[in-house]
Amino acid sequence: MNLTASLALIIFVAGATAGALGVALGLGGGIFLVPFLTLALGFPLKSAAAISLATVIATSSAVTAQRAGNQSINLRVGMLLEAATTVGSLLGGITAQLVAESVLHRLFGVVAIAVAGVVLGRVNKRNVILDPTVDPGRLGGRFYEEESGGIVSYRMKRLPLALFASFIAGNVSSLLGIGGGIIKVPVLNAWCGMPLRAAAATSALMIGVTATGGAIIYYGRGDLQPLLAAPAVLGVQAGSWVGARLAAGASVKWLKVLMAVLLVIVALLMFLRSTQ
Amino acid sequence: MNRERSGMERLETTIGEVLRFGTITSSTMFAVGLLITVMGYQPMVAQLLLATGLIILLATPPARVIASVIEYIRERDWTFVALTVIVLLALAGSVAAAYL
Repeated sequence: MNLTASLALIIFVAGATAGALGVALGLGGGIFLVPFLTLALGFPLKSAAAISLATVIATSSAVTAQRAGNQSINLRVGMLLEAATTVGSLLGGITAQLVAESVLHRLFGVVAIAVAGVVLGRVNKRNVILDPTVDPGRLGGRFYEEESGGIVSYRMKRLPLALFASFIAGNVSSLLGIGGGIIKVPVLNAWCGMPLRAAAATSALMIGVTATGGAIIYYGRGDLQPLLAAPAVLGVQAGSWVGARLAAGASVKWLKVLMAVLLVIVALLMFLRSTQ
Repeated sequence: MNRERSGMERLETTIGEVLRFGTITSSTMFAVGLLITVMGYQPMVAQLLLATGLIILLATPPARVIASVIEYIRERDWTFVALTVIVLLALAGSVAAAYL
């Protein structure tokens, strides 16, 4: 096997692993794929982020295509917050071109530790109104929820906070190559009134266009190579497919602790790398 | 309310179709392109497939936003026409930032 083929295979396997873990934990694969590409394969962070953004787009499109029609996606909230995430991703993409690699490494370290915290202390407010006759308002929603066995409603609260979190998520997405759902979903769920499933489905819709804003800039600057992006995309898709089947119903408690530890190690390695 | 709901459902169906088409097309091109690369012949064809697959992947979310703009114009929901146009402008900004 030649060098290109071996590298493609390694990236495919890394993508599959990251995708499976991402689905199992509800994180998205980028938070694992980016450090693997930079720390293990020695890619510059910009090119790792670019490859990861391509996988984020593919995941978003595939997941949303699958969920379209079951009403768990809140299109109005999604498209409202997208206005904030895409402007954020434009700014993040420009910033990534201007700052030094070491700054990006440190930022990734900080975000990895924050994500570890969220993974361990994941808020899970249900936020559902069981009376289906309640008017969810212009931005709220209604969908069939299995836990309640019926149609549930919810109302949106604290919209400015949701917009602000989305703007930050967009910036971080472009800078580090992650989807940004890890920032939006907890905020939407804990403070803005959205049930976890609606928040996750709506975030999955948004991360595609958010990641595109960043990926276009990397692509134009020559940091996104098709030969490296393709195996990562296919790997993450295969991994997500497997992960979704493995994680269904299974307890992921130990996995969460393990991943939080892994993320802290990733953060330390990133800090170390930034001093080199 | 009913008219609005049916418009939302139609939009959700359209979005699903656009995204499904983009995902399947780009993934297929990636898979075939990589296969050809690994086997080591027709490198030009492989490169073309991989590059086109990537362009389709990147174009899929913007295509979904354009479909949304059209649907909101049909519904005369000007607030959401404005919001989706902001998204398109931000993406155009990314294209400008990439090549200027």
